Amino acid sequence: MDSFNNLMGGFAHALSFANLGWAILGCFLGTAIGVLPGIGPALTIALLLPITYQVSATGAFILFCGVFYGAMYGGSTTSILLNTPGESGSIITSLEGAKMAKSGRAGPALATAAIGSFFAGTIGTLGITFLGPVIVEYALRLGPAEYFCLMVLCFVTVSAVLGGSALRGLTSLAFGLMLGLVGIDLQSGQPRLTFGVTEVLDGVNVVLVAVGLFAVGETLYLAWRHVVGEQVIQPVGSIMLSKADWKRSFWPWMRGAGLGFPFGVLPAGGTEMPTMLSYYAERKLVKPEFAHEFGTTGAIEGVAGPEAANNAAAAGVLVPMLTLGLPTSATAAIMLSAFQSYGIQPGPMLFVQQADLVWTLIASLFIANVMLVVLNLPLVGLWVQILKVPTPQLYAGILVFATIGTYGISNSVTDLVLLYGIGIIAMFMRRFDFPTAPVVIGMILGPMAEQAMRQALVISQGDWTTFLTRPASATLLAIAVLALVGPRIWGLVRR
Amino acid sequence: MTLRPSARADLGAAVFVLGLGILAMWQAMVVPASPLYGQVGPSFVPYLVAVLMLALGVGLCLAALRGGWSHTLEDMQNPAPTNWRALGLLFAGLLANLALIEWLGFVIAATAQFVLVAAAFGSRRPLRDLLIGAAVCIAAFMMFDRLLGVNIGAGILEGVL
Amino acid sequence: MMRRRTLLAASLAAPAAIALGRPATAAELFPSLSVFVPAGPGGGWDGLGRAMEQASRAAGLVGTFQFENVGGAGGTVGLPRFVSQKRGRADALFIGGAVMVGAVLANRAPVGLKDVTPLARMTTEPGIIVVPASSEFRDIAGLMAAYRANPGAVATCGGSAGGIDHITLGLMLKTVGRSARDASYVAFAGGGPAQAALLGAQVKAGISGVSEFSEQVKAGRLRALATTGDTRSLDGVPTLKESGIDVVIGNWRGVFGAPGINPAQRAALVDYLTTLHASPQWQDIMTTRGWDDAFLKDEAFADFLRKDETDTLAVLREVGLVT
Repeated sequence: MDSFNNLMGGFAHALSFANLGWAILGCFLGTAIGVLPGIGPALTIALLLPITYQVSATGAFILFCGVFYGAMYGGSTTSILLNTPGESGSIITSLEGAKMAKSGRAGPALATAAIGSFFAGTIGTLGITFLGPVIVEYALRLGPAEYFCLMVLCFVTVSAVLGGSALRGLTSLAFGLMLGLVGIDLQSGQPRLTFGVTEVLDGVNVVLVAVGLFAVGETLYLAWRHVVGEQVIQPVGSIMLSKADWKRSFWPWMRGAGLGFPFGVLPAGGTEMPTMLSYYAERKLVKPEFAHEFGTTGAIEGVAGPEAANNAAAAGVLVPMLTLGLPTSATAAIMLSAFQSYGIQPGPMLFVQQADLVWTLIASLFIANVMLVVLNLPLVGLWVQILKVPTPQLYAGILVFATIGTYGISNSVTDLVLLYGIGIIAMFMRRFDFPTAPVVIGMILGPMAEQAMRQALVISQGDWTTFLTRPASATLLAIAVLALVGPRIWGLVRR
Repeated sequence: MTLRPSARADLGAAVFVLGLGILAMWQAMVVPASPLYGQVGPSFVPYLVAVLMLALGVGLCLAALRGGWSHTLEDMQNPAPTNWRALGLLFAGLLANLALIEWLGFVIAATAQFVLVAAAFGSRRPLRDLLIGAAVCIAAFMMFDRLLGVNIGAGILEGVL
Repeated sequence: MMRRRTLLAASLAAPAAIALGRPATAAELFPSLSVFVPAGPGGGWDGLGRAMEQASRAAGLVGTFQFENVGGAGGTVGLPRFVSQKRGRADALFIGGAVMVGAVLANRAPVGLKDVTPLARMTTEPGIIVVPASSEFRDIAGLMAAYRANPGAVATCGGSAGGIDHITLGLMLKTVGRSARDASYVAFAGGGPAQAALLGAQVKAGISGVSEFSEQVKAGRLRALATTGDTRSLDGVPTLKESGIDVVIGNWRGVFGAPGINPAQRAALVDYLTTLHASPQWQDIMTTRGWDDAFLKDEAFADFLRKDETDTLAVLREVGLVT
């Protein structure tokens, strides 16, 4: 119970008046920036780096972790209410979340997101405390070949969002793959699909595309079909979770957390893949009587699972950072550079040399989680009032926020043109019934899969059997095949 | 061969997808060959995506020629006529933002966009929208610029604030 | 583009400044300077700019600083913007470095470092060549022998293709009569995934900045074979040069002035950087951050720049990034 005693010591440090203040400030700031599309925790922490000159290391890291966890909470709010995902990890949340809000269930959607985030964040933080070092050693055994197979597995999840026609769904996916190719190729340094525009050499931002597809596209489509004098009044409905909602949310939370944490720990995991897998799992596992809600009125399982997954993954990301000094996400990399400005060298010895700091940090994560759920649950009632804003002002406001997020990070008109251009395409996609979610999935998974495949092939010196001869990789491929054809075979067997 | 109007629109969408495929193919062809060691070069996946896109485009064209799919869609059963005024105002809002943001700054550009978009959705009180828009934009600007230090486009008004 | 007027930092800084008292303004060389960082906040170039601000203000050399970050494409998005916006401005600084030399060439950027005024090179970070702890390569000679025999069989990881790690590998291969295009180079986005691949022994060797791998080396999880600086960077680890491999390369970072400033204005900026470099505050920061001093100013810096460009160009040609 060494970890336990250390953790108690951490709580003793973290519960000081000043440290609690940093935690509150971090949670508040994190929630605020999480709400806004484009501006994520990595950028915020980078902007806050100057405080490392004035504040003690402990205070600064508590603040940073509050921002990090807070952003994961805040990201879901606009996904659900305005169909404008704030972070790439909440893109999947908006699929069912925004539909729930449309059919008067915004309150339960927000509540299940907040409570799910709390459960998953706590489970993830427990994971950091007790499992982290063990898991990370296993995670290191996975190489590019395994990552490629993992991404192939994730591609199966596309089938859950293809919509009415496979032909049109796959077209959307191909469009996403195309967008993902834009920019300089990592393995060769060659520019691809850039049309000679310097601003897109680093690629197209996936949050920008999601906001363009979901928010701008929706607004344009509504204007196109707008009937003068017609007022769309969005029902607000009840705020809290009913008993049935609790029952329907509980297992998705647990499964989401279980999927998310290991993915976060993986050096090339991230928060997006587990949200896709969780969505896929919930869609397949949902009780038959609620299955029709997916993609129509919005199913609460489709919000609870992915939200839990992204928070657990966020916690997981901290494991390789704290145990090995490995920055596996942009946010972790910035936090590591903050360590350096204190003259602390992050690395495998951090847990030993800076035990006090690390345990205080972990204790603060627990505290931040409690704070966030306390901060967010009462806010649910307030947030849903946004839906009472009359249509003209609501959509005008959505476009203003989309602009802030896009223009704020790059100050580039090119990005705004891209945002609006993708919005126009999305308007036509909506008219011709092309689903938009596969675009985002293709855009996230495509580049990751391509790079992993090519890395694996360079390592194996061009031997394609590398994907089959490595046990872990072969297993993952087998699961992917099973996930693709399994349900169909199961259907045949049952018949 | 006569196509119903909705199928003709579908054919347009299919041809657009075909066009995207051609665009992808062209861009795949202009990726410079890389002399680096490796089985799979930088243009392999672009070709793959281009071929996929072209195949899907052909498939959609065939579907459109067989009568299309729009007529089966719920939204298209009794479609409201295209609201040119609303769409025009909305595009004006987007263009105003693009044109003004570098020149006059975020607050003015976004407020102009707010007023035009609200008008597109049938708001008849532009003055009130102007005030609401300005308030929202100034509040957003203050939060970003002052609290986070993110410059979201400084212009004339921002200098005064 | 971001201005760092963080309320938070400012409110925290204010009491500190009052407590210390503003140092005498007699030493103030510039009332204000605007620093243009062609990368996002939090990276190496941004870090250099911020550190210069910190030291200059503590030493009372400059009144106020204004920061502007325009990131993207190895600095080639920000560079043309700086050149067009700040032409002839005597109080504008531009942060750049080795990465940009390669990016300008590889991206065929119309505006290059030739369009700004070189002032001084400030810091450098040498590279390090590591292998997994379980590797059969005990020293750099062993690794080089393997490269000579069959470079394709030694999967080597590092940052993006055409970047400084890749160029280092190319220069090393050249000394054994091989070319970068024969190598099995595995590019990873960022240090984390590359370290993970090395720790898990997915690849045979890795190249990156010293700070990236030094902690893993100290903990015995990776074995360092050589560093790429002029002098040793880690105890007990030889440089390539002393091992008989004639390669000296580092990820240098430096400061440039606006185009079209006159010689007197340029001299004033160089003077400021020289004073800053000599100040105890700057030396302190260099020690805390673990940066290597690489101060080189004026024409000497310009000469270095030309040589760096030639070397980079040669390797980029080999890997097909420049035709």
